[in-house]
Amino acid sequence: MRIFKAAAVALLLQTGISSVVQAQALNGNPLSDVRVRQAIAYAIDRNLITESVFAGFAVPADGLLPNGPFKSPNLDKYAYDPEKAKALLAEAGWDSSRALNMVYYYDDQITADLMAVLQAQLAEVGITLTYNLIVGDVAKTLNSIPEDPKGKSVVTWDMAYGARAAMVMQEYFNDYATGKASADGFPGSPELDALIADSNTATDPEVAKATLMKIDEYINANVLTLPLYYQQLQSVESNRLDRHGEPYGNDQFNYDWNVHNWTVTPDADGKAILYTNGAPLDYFEQPWVNLGLWAGNKFIWAHMLGSKPFLDGITGGDLAESYEMSDDGLTLTFTMRDGTKWHDGEPITVDDVTKSLIFSLKTPNLHGVIASVFNSIEGAAEYVAGTAETVSGITSDGNKVTIKFTKPNANTLIAFTQWGPFPMKYFEGVDPTLVQQAEFWQKPIGSGPFKVEEAKFGDFSSFVPFDDYYEGKPKIDQIIAWASSDGDVNMVKNASAHRIDFAVTKVVSDIEAIKALDFMRMTPLDIPYTRMVWFNQYDK
Amino acid sequence: MLTYIARRLLIIVPMAIGISFLIYLALDLSPGDAVTRMLNPVQTVDPERIEELRRALGLDAPLVVRYWIWFSGVLQGNFGRTLTGGVPISRILMERLPATLELSVVALVLSSIFGAILGTVSALKRGSATDNILTVAGMIGVSIPEFFFGLVAILVFAINLGWLPVGGRLLPSYTTYWDHIPNLVMPALVLSIMMTAGVMRYARSAMLDTLSKEFIKTARSKGLPEWRVNLLHGFRVALTPVVVLIGFRLPILIGGSVIVEQVFQWPGLGHLFVLSVRNKDLPTVMTIALLSVILVLVVSLIIDVLTAIIDPRVRLGGE
Repeated sequence: MRIFKAAAVALLLQTGISSVVQAQALNGNPLSDVRVRQAIAYAIDRNLITESVFAGFAVPADGLLPNGPFKSPNLDKYAYDPEKAKALLAEAGWDSSRALNMVYYYDDQITADLMAVLQAQLAEVGITLTYNLIVGDVAKTLNSIPEDPKGKSVVTWDMAYGARAAMVMQEYFNDYATGKASADGFPGSPELDALIADSNTATDPEVAKATLMKIDEYINANVLTLPLYYQQLQSVESNRLDRHGEPYGNDQFNYDWNVHNWTVTPDADGKAILYTNGAPLDYFEQPWVNLGLWAGNKFIWAHMLGSKPFLDGITGGDLAESYEMSDDGLTLTFTMRDGTKWHDGEPITVDDVTKSLIFSLKTPNLHGVIASVFNSIEGAAEYVAGTAETVSGITSDGNKVTIKFTKPNANTLIAFTQWGPFPMKYFEGVDPTLVQQAEFWQKPIGSGPFKVEEAKFGDFSSFVPFDDYYEGKPKIDQIIAWASSDGDVNMVKNASAHRIDFAVTKVVSDIEAIKALDFMRMTPLDIPYTRMVWFNQYDK
Repeated sequence: MLTYIARRLLIIVPMAIGISFLIYLALDLSPGDAVTRMLNPVQTVDPERIEELRRALGLDAPLVVRYWIWFSGVLQGNFGRTLTGGVPISRILMERLPATLELSVVALVLSSIFGAILGTVSALKRGSATDNILTVAGMIGVSIPEFFFGLVAILVFAINLGWLPVGGRLLPSYTTYWDHIPNLVMPALVLSIMMTAGVMRYARSAMLDTLSKEFIKTARSKGLPEWRVNLLHGFRVALTPVVVLIGFRLPILIGGSVIVEQVFQWPGLGHLFVLSVRNKDLPTVMTIALLSVILVLVVSLIIDVLTAIIDPRVRLGGE
């Protein structure tokens, strides 16, 4: 078996760049012609964009996958070459009277600046670009596709600008599968479908990695999507904070950051208070969707398993003391840790785990990676469809929980590093569809190192150490988190007034402002976060 | 006058219903709904789950039915729950209203008193250095946006001098009501400056206009002292348009000041209103809007009555 896997990996890696589709328009839409998409790739100067628009706080992208272990050496970089772009357009018979419309969903100034730069660069090669912000139903505008892949496009846009913040690398590509309603605007191909399926079911990490590289090469060769740049996340910290060597990682998700070991310099009253942002505006978000939200999620909740900092492996158990995955990847058994408690002092039980798993199957806003794993639990489909009263694939025995799957999934274990159970006694009678509307989220009872002491929505939330946290009582006396939405507009102001000890940001203007504060420091984090341009290739 | 007031109060009911329905209609016609705002645009979610959530929240019902469900609840004193978080709206109002009220009441009182006094002084000293200084100050006050004043104030008084908190309203360490007064000072003063400038300019022009009237000349010709002419005859009449201006600012008691609340992280209703509009949380938006509508209508009535009391030339309802 091992030899077979090695041979498979070698074969995948030795194969050159994936096939390029025939160089002609596949339908009445000029963007279905690979030469037009390649011309656009050559016309855009990504180095200029990252240096000027993003002040150097972004990295030009050549593939969808981030730089690092998943980067294929076979990617064409499409280095800025307007003359080549013009030649390709001429070859493709580009009609210069045809304007392309780009849509985007970020309402910040940097995106508006970027649109102006893209417009100017495309104008240089004879392409007229118009652009507009999507208002209203963003998901529908972006993700609607015709029922028949060869049918007419059901959206009016030609190109769309957006981002993918991936938890696992498969997330970059699953949307390209034929018939998957998504923004990639690609009708699909059997070759790519097969690669996508392989990448999801490969339980051997090396085979999965090689397959993912192949997909990136395929997309790159055919310019199905144009990656523009990779964006770093900056961990913003005051000089009062000491992480005691605990790791930095992908703060968009959960990992073993060991916040219980962090310390801050005590104030004049001798109290060690950590100030941060991200507290809720009107309710705590349930933690199964926006996984990396620190104030509403990471401080409060523990998970089944622990993850390495950049989600590239499992560190071991969290609420589960240990786990065992069968060789075929179809049976996962957790042995629950003894003595773990909820913040109300009640024990965390096996029943909480099994009931939470079943409950989560019917919640509407489960994170995509977790949903894809949970949906393949035996009996899950029948339960969701209402033809079964419970889920046959979820069982418990003593302190063990066993989950059986209908098919292997490369991300099963990672999914459980991001998911943890709820104290289900608080959800009796709650419709899982309306989980977020439950009263529980006004002051959740969690399982993590800190518990909610007080929530003044729209103002601040206060967290205090959970004495019974199984890894030991946290050393910080109190966390005060200022209420803010994603992209906190008040972060710099609060940091300037010594009211931020920890935050994360990707906002360039914030990064530049924080750099000027000598009592603050920043640590760049290379997270999988790619900003890209999608092409709508459906017939028009 | 009582008949007039009773008639106007009766008219408020259909007007409030009509206006609230129009607001509901306008919000409903804008693209998307609360469910679409809950989703990550690039996370594809099972469409059946989304529809189920829409049904569970009652968003699949026709517009008129949804409006009626909301409105009949309001008639019974039930404002409903927020769509996104399921929080009783009455509870949110009770949490946010004190923050909005204390900010806007302070700003209204300060701006009304100082604006009227400074405007009157400016008019009485027309053409003098005092008038010029106050006119320039007034122009600056109405021209420079609130957020700029707010940021400058934060930079100077919170960050550089460290005298006042940078923002927010409460802290876990606050135990009495008075603990948070330092948090109130900057947002209330910034809001007051803007409003004072407006009232001052209005009061100045109203006073100048009044002082040129025949009855002022008549009063002077009777040999009344100048202070008596200015205050009892001039100021009283000049107050009428100023009261109208101040009156129509009263809805900020409900709506709050969105910009000042944002700059100072003040957890008031203005902030909540913007968040709810963005989330298309119709029950919340409608509740705040309805209260504002009712307040505007009531204030409009009060202004009419006050105008009649202040200005003897005004008669209500053809009396």
